[in-house]
Amino acid sequence: MTCHEVGRLLDAYVDNELDPAQSASLQEHLASCVGCSRRVADRESLGRLIRSVPYYEAPDRLRAHIATARPRTRYTPSLLAWAAALTLAVSLGGVAAVRMVRARPSVDVTASVAEAVISSHVRSLMADHLFDVRSSDQHMVKPWFLGKVDFSPPVDDLSSIGFPLVGGRLDYIAGRPAAALVYQRRQHTINLFIWPEAAGAPASGRQGQPDKEDVRSTRGFQTRHWERGGMSFWAVSDLNDAELGQFERALRH
Amino acid sequence: MPRRIFEEVVLPHVDAAFNYARWLTRSDADAEDVVQDACIRALRFLPSLRGDDARAWLLTIVRNTWHGRFSRKGASAQPLVVNEMVDERSDEGLDPEALVIRQQAVDSVRRAIEELPVDFREVIVLRELEGLSYKEIAAVAGIPIGTVMSRLARGRERLLAVLGPLHAMEGRRDVS
Repeated sequence: MTCHEVGRLLDAYVDNELDPAQSASLQEHLASCVGCSRRVADRESLGRLIRSVPYYEAPDRLRAHIATARPRTRYTPSLLAWAAALTLAVSLGGVAAVRMVRARPSVDVTASVAEAVISSHVRSLMADHLFDVRSSDQHMVKPWFLGKVDFSPPVDDLSSIGFPLVGGRLDYIAGRPAAALVYQRRQHTINLFIWPEAAGAPASGRQGQPDKEDVRSTRGFQTRHWERGGMSFWAVSDLNDAELGQFERALRH
Repeated sequence: MPRRIFEEVVLPHVDAAFNYARWLTRSDADAEDVVQDACIRALRFLPSLRGDDARAWLLTIVRNTWHGRFSRKGASAQPLVVNEMVDERSDEGLDPEALVIRQQAVDSVRRAIEELPVDFREVIVLRELEGLSYKEIAAVAGIPIGTVMSRLARGRERLLAVLGPLHAMEGRRDVS
């Protein structure tokens, strides 16, 4: 190893993040290099000094607040009443929507959502705002959504079958926050929108039909919609339908 | 019962949450607000905690809560609030003069960290004070592992440049 190479790995070495082989060859270099040994010693001293800085402990007042905290948005009785009313309204709306579909097959309740999903897909590509978090690591993308949306979207890496995850962002579909995961297929981009299906989402009239799927093609874009585990999924891309179908099946396994 | 899980899983990490929030905001009051808010969110997101490390999970929520509140205001533009805390831990084996030197060293190290840009400050705090792995830091801060490493390197270089010769500050003789 040269001093330059050692310089790049110095922090990982001090932090025990190198694999044993790298660590061994770095140590070999240190044994014969005073300059690099000094840099390691400096970093170790710095670490000791930083760790001697007092830890900021949570004040008792804060601890007491947290111990008695309740997520008010969920358990307050008046809100529960509102939620019940909303659920009723949504299910009534769903019944009405189903009736409409039955009466006039050309009217489809999900058409407007499909339209919104396509618009969002196009906007994400045109405005060059495809990512809020750019990463192919599902373990990084998933926690990014923590605290930004009030649900935890499933994040799967499909790179083994040729659909690598490339990132995610926060988006709005039909007036509610949605997690958007971005996948790549050759030069094609796939946006996968996810939101909780039970929370008054536009397609919630389809509850209780777990295997429902919806495939359509509009303005040269393919969309596929399905519901799973209480979540509503919309995949949209300019990719051909066969491959988008493969994408959907992989996610539903 | 989620409440019980919350008490067993989340409450033990309130100190870590507060320490991290305090370093991010550099203000006791803001840190309290952020942690309180984050814990209420944590209670709501409890089902999303599946076998992950609860501390890193809570720190992620703290980070996102802070980011949502403060980043738009420009965190670096906020006034620096220096809290003159005294380290009450005993340092046996050091004579009074060395103790004074040590206390001064601790103060100047804390000040130097507080003056770092927040991107460097948070990785240093997560690594040195929370002892998180690079992978955990990447997840908490929402950055790639390579960025964790380069920010740690640059943050440490800055601290070393600001603090000068460390062996004197550590109250010991030069390493030979």
